[in-house]
Amino acid sequence: MLRYIIKRLLLMIPTLVGVAVLIFLLMRVVPGDVVELRFAGESAFASKENLAIERTRLGLDQPVWKQFLTWMAGLVRFDFGTSMWTGAPISEEIRLRFALSLQLAIMATLVAVMLAIPLGVLAALKQDTWVDYAVRVFSIAGLAMPSFWLGIVFILGLLIVFRWLPPMVYTPLWVNPVQNLAQLIWPALAVGYRYSAVATRMTRSAMLEVLREDYIRTARAKGLWQKLILSRHALKNAMLPVLTVIALEFAFLMGGLVVTEQVFNLNGLGLLFVESVAHRDYTLTQALVLLVAFVFIFVNFLVDLAYAWIDPRIRFR
Amino acid sequence: MRRLSGLVIVFLALVSALPAAAQEKPRHGGELIFVVPSNPPSFDAHREETFGTIHPIAPHYNTLLRTDPLDKTGTKVAPDLAESWNISKDGRTYTLKLRHGVKFHDGSEFTSKDAKATYDKIIFPPAGVASNRKGEYQDVEAIQAPDPYTIVFRLKWPSASFLNSLASPWNWIYKADTLAQDMRWYETHVNGTGPFVFVEHVKGSHWVGKKNPNYWDKGKPYLDGYRAIFMTDSAAQVAAIRGERAMIQFRGFSPSERDSLVSALGNKIAVQESPWNCLILIAMNHEKKPFDDKRVRRALTLALDRYQGSAALSKIAIVKEIGGVQVPGTSFATPPAELEKLAGYSRDINKARAEARRLLKEAGVPDGFSFVYKNRGVPMPYEPVGVWLIDQWRQIGLNVRQEVVEAAAYYGQVLRPGNFDVAADFQCGYTVEPDLDLYKFTSKDKNAANYSRYTDHVLDELYEKQGRAVEAEERKKYIREFEKRLLDDEVHYIYTLQWHRIIPHNAKVRGWTITPSHYLNQQLDTVWLAE
Repeated sequence: MLRYIIKRLLLMIPTLVGVAVLIFLLMRVVPGDVVELRFAGESAFASKENLAIERTRLGLDQPVWKQFLTWMAGLVRFDFGTSMWTGAPISEEIRLRFALSLQLAIMATLVAVMLAIPLGVLAALKQDTWVDYAVRVFSIAGLAMPSFWLGIVFILGLLIVFRWLPPMVYTPLWVNPVQNLAQLIWPALAVGYRYSAVATRMTRSAMLEVLREDYIRTARAKGLWQKLILSRHALKNAMLPVLTVIALEFAFLMGGLVVTEQVFNLNGLGLLFVESVAHRDYTLTQALVLLVAFVFIFVNFLVDLAYAWIDPRIRFR
Repeated sequence: MRRLSGLVIVFLALVSALPAAAQEKPRHGGELIFVVPSNPPSFDAHREETFGTIHPIAPHYNTLLRTDPLDKTGTKVAPDLAESWNISKDGRTYTLKLRHGVKFHDGSEFTSKDAKATYDKIIFPPAGVASNRKGEYQDVEAIQAPDPYTIVFRLKWPSASFLNSLASPWNWIYKADTLAQDMRWYETHVNGTGPFVFVEHVKGSHWVGKKNPNYWDKGKPYLDGYRAIFMTDSAAQVAAIRGERAMIQFRGFSPSERDSLVSALGNKIAVQESPWNCLILIAMNHEKKPFDDKRVRRALTLALDRYQGSAALSKIAIVKEIGGVQVPGTSFATPPAELEKLAGYSRDINKARAEARRLLKEAGVPDGFSFVYKNRGVPMPYEPVGVWLIDQWRQIGLNVRQEVVEAAAYYGQVLRPGNFDVAADFQCGYTVEPDLDLYKFTSKDKNAANYSRYTDHVLDELYEKQGRAVEAEERKKYIREFEKRLLDDEVHYIYTLQWHRIIPHNAKVRGWTITPSHYLNQQLDTVWLAE
């Protein structure tokens, strides 16, 4: 098992290097650069001399291969450089937003899991009854409604009914839990609902498949309690595909909630990502892509470990 | 009926806001919470171009002169750190007397040494330091500080706009010793003489300032502090004002956003509106056929029914006023009756379009001629204005296709390399001042922002003459000539509608006056909150 873990961890390195090369090249292909955007743009008085000074300062006058090597040399030392737009260290730019995005992803996952697993199991057990239909309607509605739209509905509802709006500035959970939850619970519900819809449907179909397996029939024939059959034999095995869906969604939430973050004015990674691309902030975009890629790879790695824990056959292979 | 009642509410909100503010005695205390729809890239206004730097950070600073915070035209110059000024008879020497007893937030005293170091950084930056505003001060020959409370600017030639340039909201006064040690220090730190001192900045989230207890203008500021919340989404901004989480957003809202706020909050909201010194220009590439032919360019402007366009677009977009080269209502603006004589400004649109068709035919442009209009990928107001233009040109037999280019790539990929036939261009000034507003239209060998790519030395000469004319009437004459040549005789550029600035704000916010620029009036020293 240890050998398996080490092998998987080592495999992360070439994957991340591949992502680094790809994003570096892609950013250079996109038209426009940060200097043009920031200092030329609309100004009638912008001079070529100024643009040249700024490009030199940011190293954009260097050949692309040299820029790449400089960046890679920094990465090896975990130095992501500074943002070309703000001049602040990349680590500082990301650290500020990471806590919020991570907390929101965790909260949305909790909402999704708490809804999806009981509802999915219930729908499978009560297949083709009104309970199943109700759960299906609930989950299809979740799939049909974009989370940012639901977010707008929440905001308007709170404004019109309660004349109240969630706080606009992020307060860390350990500083003021009430303020923190008052801000994040709404996007967590909006995102978690859509997220739960996918997971509910996956739980239902996986449960239906498992409940038809021979070993479940055997367990029933042995006279095992229904609760025991469900929890120990059915649910555990049905969790494999559900876990994959939950993990992929979690990784997506870390950088993909752009519109939801805009709607709730959340200072998260998604918004930072979009702004960095719009500003042609090469260094920041590259670092963010690497971070999101790392989250995806790491979460997948954890899922694989969980697979091994849930399904002994995987462990012994 | 519902629409009518909405309009009545807006009107009442408009007319009730200002007189009430004028009559009341300012009240001390409270924190102003406002929304900023952009983030500051750095804290140094000398190098930035965005209001995202001005709005949250300007309250920490003063400038030598400022525009009068009560002047709605945003053109009247008032003292700030310089309490008085004197202009020599030849118009080439400006002597400014500075205030005594002004302190930076770190406790050090402000003197002419600081003012000189600041302007040296802007106008004569050392090698390797970029100054985005250097181009505005080509007339400055030397800066001198003969004593601690006097600063002298010597010009190469008389300049009608120099005082306004000294009132630029970008030219915050920095400390000389700090600049001497590190020219880039102000990009990441704050130390001004302004009415508020720095408290906190969380990137992407908020900026906080508190009252400067040692402010030189005794009794000010009225507020205990302010909090700027960075918020890019306009729906979230509206929700913040509506939910009373924020009191004002100083850049501007759209007409529909204004209406929704007014109908939701009634008398809790006040609305201030003004022509905006920003507009979309139409650049026609003189290096491409048939736009090298002035008859074709003239046909394009004749096709526009600006009066109908203003009435229709002002309901859905942030455009409204019909103007020439100066914002309507300001001192050098052409009166409406005179404006109507210019090509494309006539009220008889049928006659104008018949003339446009005739010109196209004469120039050999066939009916149904196609070209691409390149538009900037910014929805408001580029999108509605683009749709309107295409419809107008269709009515003279032109078949125009719109191509929207991402905003970040627009200048670099479309305008600068001349990769277009006809394209949207943009101009936005911090104050209504012909020297600043007209420079863009000088020949391409003089300025890189002439995207129509023409050379017109007559226009260059007129620009120079108006800039050096000390008498207002003489200057006005040259500006009119410039305007006629630019928009009528040669039609180098087409002016669309002037932007229209709409600020609906919490009625408690007093002491702030709208101007045609969203860069002005952001020191917040005169702002106060009613009970």
